[in-house]
Amino acid sequence: MLGLLVLPGFLSLALLLQVTVVDLLRVKGVVPDLIFLLVVFYSFWRGQREGAFWGFVAGLMKDFITGSYLGLNALSTGVAGYLVGWAESRLYKESSLVVMVITFLATLVSQLVYYLLLVYLEIKVPFGVALFQVVFPSAMYNALLVPLFYRKFYRLYLKGWFRTGQP
Amino acid sequence: MIPLTSGKRLFFLVILLVLVLYVMRVTAFGRVGATPLEGTLVDTFAALEQVATQLGWGVRDVFGFPLSLVTAARRANELSERVARLEGELEQAKEYRLENERLKKLLDFKSGPAAASGLEVTAAAVVGRDPGNWFSTITINKGRAQGIRENMTVLTPRGLVGRVIATTDRTATVLLITDPRSAVSALIQDSRTPGLVEGSAGGAGSLHMIHIPNDLPVRPGQVVVTSGTGSIFAKGVPIGEIADVKRDPTGLFFEASVRPFVDFNRLEEVLVITGVRSPVP
Repeated sequence: MLGLLVLPGFLSLALLLQVTVVDLLRVKGVVPDLIFLLVVFYSFWRGQREGAFWGFVAGLMKDFITGSYLGLNALSTGVAGYLVGWAESRLYKESSLVVMVITFLATLVSQLVYYLLLVYLEIKVPFGVALFQVVFPSAMYNALLVPLFYRKFYRLYLKGWFRTGQP
Repeated sequence: MIPLTSGKRLFFLVILLVLVLYVMRVTAFGRVGATPLEGTLVDTFAALEQVATQLGWGVRDVFGFPLSLVTAARRANELSERVARLEGELEQAKEYRLENERLKKLLDFKSGPAAASGLEVTAAAVVGRDPGNWFSTITINKGRAQGIRENMTVLTPRGLVGRVIATTDRTATVLLITDPRSAVSALIQDSRTPGLVEGSAGGAGSLHMIHIPNDLPVRPGQVVVTSGTGSIFAKGVPIGEIADVKRDPTGLFFEASVRPFVDFNRLEEVLVITGVRSPVP
């Protein structure tokens, strides 16, 4: 039962760090996304259904803190969780390198979905600017942070920290 | 979980998608007031944010100083001289810091050009940032309880920062002028040529001034200020200086990139214009 609180706890902590100190790590105008990293890890361990669900929840938490466009992060992160979950039964979970590639691709897709939603919301961002100043740099940055965190979280996962009562 | 057939699952997914897309639109930032639940959430979170932000700046300061020493160590012959100088500077910096704190308290930020022009301002600390890379907003630690309202102009002594787009009891969200959703009606200070200053995505802090009539010359280095006419921004607040100029695709206007005066990556304190005092006779 306690395991049910571990992931939300980590997500809340990541969100707190994200809106405060992560900004000090800004490089070329982009910041890494700690919440997104957690979603990628968890989806990779648990599969599509849980990936999509927790991606959606994590995104919604971000949306609440931002206070506008509720659902914007929820949808884009949920899609990423779903897609990463596809790799769950197919790829080797020990390797940080595999997770780096997954994170890079997941960030690309998630940010492109985000861009499409911005178009839907009539927020004008030139496509070139979006691609080369936001989408690619943030995917790179997220992927580069994976080796710092992945093994530690994977060890916690193997110890059963994130177990939610389901087999 | 109840097992669903794939048809039903698809149906629920579509319903969910439509619902989320609808909610996204109605919660665009122009809406009137947040729900009480959101307000409480944001207020509670803001208290934590403030602590974490201050810790972050502290850690940066702690790491910043030894790093400067490491660089010095590479040039061994300069080291002792340099450390002595740094120590001296550190002492001096401490003096400045203490003096700054005293003056801040004394003046409560209410001096300077803003006060001279009869504006009433409230000082606020930046406690949070937008978590993503697309938008540029900040959260400040003053809200409705301190008289902050939507659309108030936010600035620093150096120049324009943005405007308030949402408030809770104890916090407010400020849309920075570098956000892609921001547009500020502006003037080139010396020639009084009008234009519109827009932000762009990516948080790189770049600004573009568009719709500048092409009948007057525009040169790099000219200062851009808010025009105030028909705008929610206060008049005459400096924005930045023109970096380079080109014709826009239609050929009817100039467009220019503008280097902002404010360093948006290092915002710690801002001023909110809460009203205008009538001039003293």
